[in-house]
Amino acid sequence: MRYRVSHRTVYSYDEPVTDSFGLAYLTPRSLPWQEVASHEVAVDPEASDLAQETDYYGNLATYFQVTERHTTLIVDALSEVTVTTPIHSDAALGGAWERARPLLDPTLPGAWQATDFALASGSAEQTAEAKEYAAESLTRGRPIGEAASDLMTRIHRDFAYDKTATTVTSTIDDIFGKRAGVCQDFAHLTLACLRGHGLAARYVSGYLATEPPPGKERIVGADASHAWVEVWLPDHDGGGPGEWLAIDPTNDQWAGDRYVTVAWGRDYGDVPPVKGVIFTEAKRSTLRVEVDVAPL
Amino acid sequence: MTVLRDYAAATSQPTLGDPDGPGRFDEVVGPDGSLRPAWKGLAELAVSLTPGDMYRADSDIARFLADDGVTYARPGDRQGPWRLDPVPLVIDARTWAPLEKGLAQRAELFNALLVDLYGDQRLLAEGVVPPAVVLGHGGFTRAVARRSLGEQPIDPRPLVFSATDLARDAAGEWRVIGDRAQAPSGLGYAMENRRVISRVVPELYRQAGLHRMEPYFWALRSALIQSANGDLADPRVVVLSPGTHSETAYDQAFVASTLGFPLVQGSDLLIRDGWVYLRQGRGRMERVDVILRRVDAAWSDPLELRGESQLGVAGLVEAVRRGRVRVVNGLGSGVLENPGLAPYLPAACETLLGEPLLLPGLTTHWCGAPDGLRAVLDSLEQPSRPLHVRPIDGPSAELERLPTAKVIERILDEPHRYVGQERLPFSQVPTWRSGAARPRPVTLRTFALRYGGSYRPLVGGLANVYDDGGFRSSASKDVWVLKADPADADQGLAEVMSMTAARAVAVTVPRVLEDLFWVGRYAERAEDMLRLLIVTHTISEDFRTSPGSVGGASLAVLLGTIGRLAGRQFDDLDAEFRSLLTDADRVGSVAHSIENLRTALTDVRDQLSADTWRAFGVVERAHEALAANPHSHQVADTAGRILTGVLSLQGVFASMMRDDGWHMIGAGRSLERSLQLVHLLRSSTTVRRGIDVDRTVLNAVLESAESSVTHRRRYRGYVRPAGVLELLVVDPDNPRSLAFSLAEVRDHVAALPASTGSTRPERLVENLLAEVEDQSVAELVAIGGVNRPNLESFLDDTLDRLARLGESVEDLHLRSGPPPRSFGALAIVDSLPAEPATGTIPAITEPLADDAPGTREGA
Repeated sequence: MRYRVSHRTVYSYDEPVTDSFGLAYLTPRSLPWQEVASHEVAVDPEASDLAQETDYYGNLATYFQVTERHTTLIVDALSEVTVTTPIHSDAALGGAWERARPLLDPTLPGAWQATDFALASGSAEQTAEAKEYAAESLTRGRPIGEAASDLMTRIHRDFAYDKTATTVTSTIDDIFGKRAGVCQDFAHLTLACLRGHGLAARYVSGYLATEPPPGKERIVGADASHAWVEVWLPDHDGGGPGEWLAIDPTNDQWAGDRYVTVAWGRDYGDVPPVKGVIFTEAKRSTLRVEVDVAPL
Repeated sequence: MTVLRDYAAATSQPTLGDPDGPGRFDEVVGPDGSLRPAWKGLAELAVSLTPGDMYRADSDIARFLADDGVTYARPGDRQGPWRLDPVPLVIDARTWAPLEKGLAQRAELFNALLVDLYGDQRLLAEGVVPPAVVLGHGGFTRAVARRSLGEQPIDPRPLVFSATDLARDAAGEWRVIGDRAQAPSGLGYAMENRRVISRVVPELYRQAGLHRMEPYFWALRSALIQSANGDLADPRVVVLSPGTHSETAYDQAFVASTLGFPLVQGSDLLIRDGWVYLRQGRGRMERVDVILRRVDAAWSDPLELRGESQLGVAGLVEAVRRGRVRVVNGLGSGVLENPGLAPYLPAACETLLGEPLLLPGLTTHWCGAPDGLRAVLDSLEQPSRPLHVRPIDGPSAELERLPTAKVIERILDEPHRYVGQERLPFSQVPTWRSGAARPRPVTLRTFALRYGGSYRPLVGGLANVYDDGGFRSSASKDVWVLKADPADADQGLAEVMSMTAARAVAVTVPRVLEDLFWVGRYAERAEDMLRLLIVTHTISEDFRTSPGSVGGASLAVLLGTIGRLAGRQFDDLDAEFRSLLTDADRVGSVAHSIENLRTALTDVRDQLSADTWRAFGVVERAHEALAANPHSHQVADTAGRILTGVLSLQGVFASMMRDDGWHMIGAGRSLERSLQLVHLLRSSTTVRRGIDVDRTVLNAVLESAESSVTHRRRYRGYVRPAGVLELLVVDPDNPRSLAFSLAEVRDHVAALPASTGSTRPERLVENLLAEVEDQSVAELVAIGGVNRPNLESFLDDTLDRLARLGESVEDLHLRSGPPPRSFGALAIVDSLPAEPATGTIPAITEPLADDAPGTREGA
């Protein structure tokens, strides 16, 4: 599928901002299953400094500084991508999950690179509750593809989608407490569950193209950023670095050709769409986000 | 008997009562009771030292350190005095030589490790170092890593200056017990220790033939200048400090001023187009090429590292990535402060340097490896706990308080985060404790500097001794490394150019100017309160028991004046005076002004002459005298001595360069003098209390405004309100008058760079001065009932206008712009459609409590 993705982020402040620094993860990655035809990030007021960085994980980050005095900051990202559904080998999906733990089997091919995603990270704390919850899916000798899918399905079933339940700083305990959350929470929960058992899993930030209800027009700007998880499948036979299976607990499905991958990291904190530091006396800010994933 | 003989006798006795106790190596006395080689050359002098000599040395040290204002804050505590033991740790050339080689190798290895870990990560890929040791460590800074093959590492020489802590084991072998790679502290303390010890035991010092430390500072200065990227003719180097409340603030300021580099804080720096600049007052800025960093990496950039940090500079990481500034040491170097690396260093050394690791570390078991985990769990099951369990990137204190079962649970949850280390019986040194030299365990902090193409350890160091077997150092020691040959060059650095006694270039960043403004204000406030207190105390000596008398009524008026500025806390007058002199928490007290004065001065220590700190030594000794003597006359004595100390600061300021900072002190001082004078007059002269009381009060006012002599000369002892006001309000020649002080404010403000002749502070002071000069004293003293209504309204109005003037000076000259805030923590909304999310911008909290400018009280 080919998409034009536009992602507009608007910050409004109640007092002028005199200096603003930003770091944005808004440019989709080029991947074997995802081709990026064009991409652009623009800032208004015009940035005095704007640069594209490749970060530690190979993501494309946009660094910018706005020195013009402003009360509204707009970050516009526009890209065109073609996505196909990633294909995974039966051998990779069928290996027992116990044989995909980089910390316990450091000699597995690719384990050293996967290690970073097997360790706990700030937003995906490995709680005892998460470990226990995941144990039901990770039964002895179960193929990793099946085990991860089962966990995904259970999270989808057991946790309600509720925007009011959590905030960006919610912890794994909060999510269990409320039994509810949004995509980002489900992604963090999935990470905590898998890593608690030694598996390597990474947080993916991107977009999901939504289909309008039957008979309705597509509403422009109604889409949103999305987040899901990829779990590491080692390449036991080939000796390569292995592959990553993308699972979406929010929608109980593997990520296919409607998923646009922007960036991955250990958790949300590594790849927020936009973060920044502003110099201002302002006490309040308002954030508006408009995302549109238009099929071409 | 002499001190060392007693020590030797006690030490060589077979240990009683504790046969299994750690057999410690003694640094001074060999197993046969004879002196170690390092001490043989000193024997004649050292052995003759008597307890009396030691008492004298010990108290001299305390006084010298107080006069130099040397402080250290334990984590979570206020700054306290730095402690230095009179007996140095002496190391002879033969013992030092292999150590020096090992330390140089270790620094080189650590630099190579950083290049690899932040570059192509060969050590991790090949399994030489387990990835979790590095990736699971909080110091691993992904923002400055470049993993793509073929890309140059961001920083090819990330390690410029490192520190290694050593201890000697029972066999006398030096072992590494820890490394400091981020922002090593202690070099300044080491140098200060040397300065003090060389003054306290000069004969011993001269006899020893040891390596002087100065050339090492020259080498450090030159290494920092040369570490600038590119080929700059005159690179600008700054020392980035977290501020006065940092544990080692003294050390930072010492290093900065000795090297001649400005000491700055995060808010003094800003980024434009990926370059780093130093703010230099209104809009002016100057590029910075090298930052000697004393702020931990995690706090260095709120954009890409910890978002809540106010200690860092937004955009610094990007500037580093573009190679536009060198941060020393590199932002990722904290990953080396990692006991988990210890078991893998020998192999890493072979891989990276192709040679065996020279310095042995502590035997360390990393729990991420199966046999390491087994060793640690075994140890936890034994009552003696032979291994010391600690996290790879944090203090072990919390772990030590947990029950064993909990510790095991934590380790099993995340084994890669823990290690177990052998417990070493550190060697012992004689340490002066309650009248005798007693054996205390000692550790040695060493330093290594990349100078030219290789690493050079400091020939010397900073030793720490420990009491009660604790982990917290109880005192430091100077470290004497003896020369093999008296002709050897100090530090082996014959070729280094000597620095001209470099003073830091004056920095006019708004923060520094603000501190200096408050220096002027608090110094004057302390002085004025002291004068008032001395006068009041004198009257109280005569009249406190006769409240109905003239003197008693006058005393009540003066106490009212003090109360106006500092409140009233004690009915008992002695207690009240003592509190005013010593209670730093009491707003308006002398002690409070002096404490704030000291804080403001500490913030700009690199700008100041070393004589500055003597004033506080005087104050401290005056406090001690007060505490030791319950008699009332001691109040007068102590107040007088404190006044001497505060006045000595005026002498220090008088010899400053006439730059923006000096004018800022002057403006603060004259403004404060005006304010204090008006407060004094307002509470003493606007009410008529009968001729006798008025006369006593007016005399006291003249006395505390230091104008009695002039008044007597001019009015021949005839004290009337008109004469007093003439002298204290409108007289343009009396340096204590309001008119004179305002003219001073005007002149100082006019000299500041932002002044144009028509700015608000200039207009305010000009108008106020004109009115004061035109004021008719006859009108002011006009009587209405028991009051003088004109005087009252004039003084009230003047107070308002002085307050506005102070604010306008701060607004125009001292504001450095709004504070940074983070807007990262906003939820992504995956709903349809996206609703506006409104939230309060989180105020960024600082990890170290800091005195925000707003918390200073204006009188």
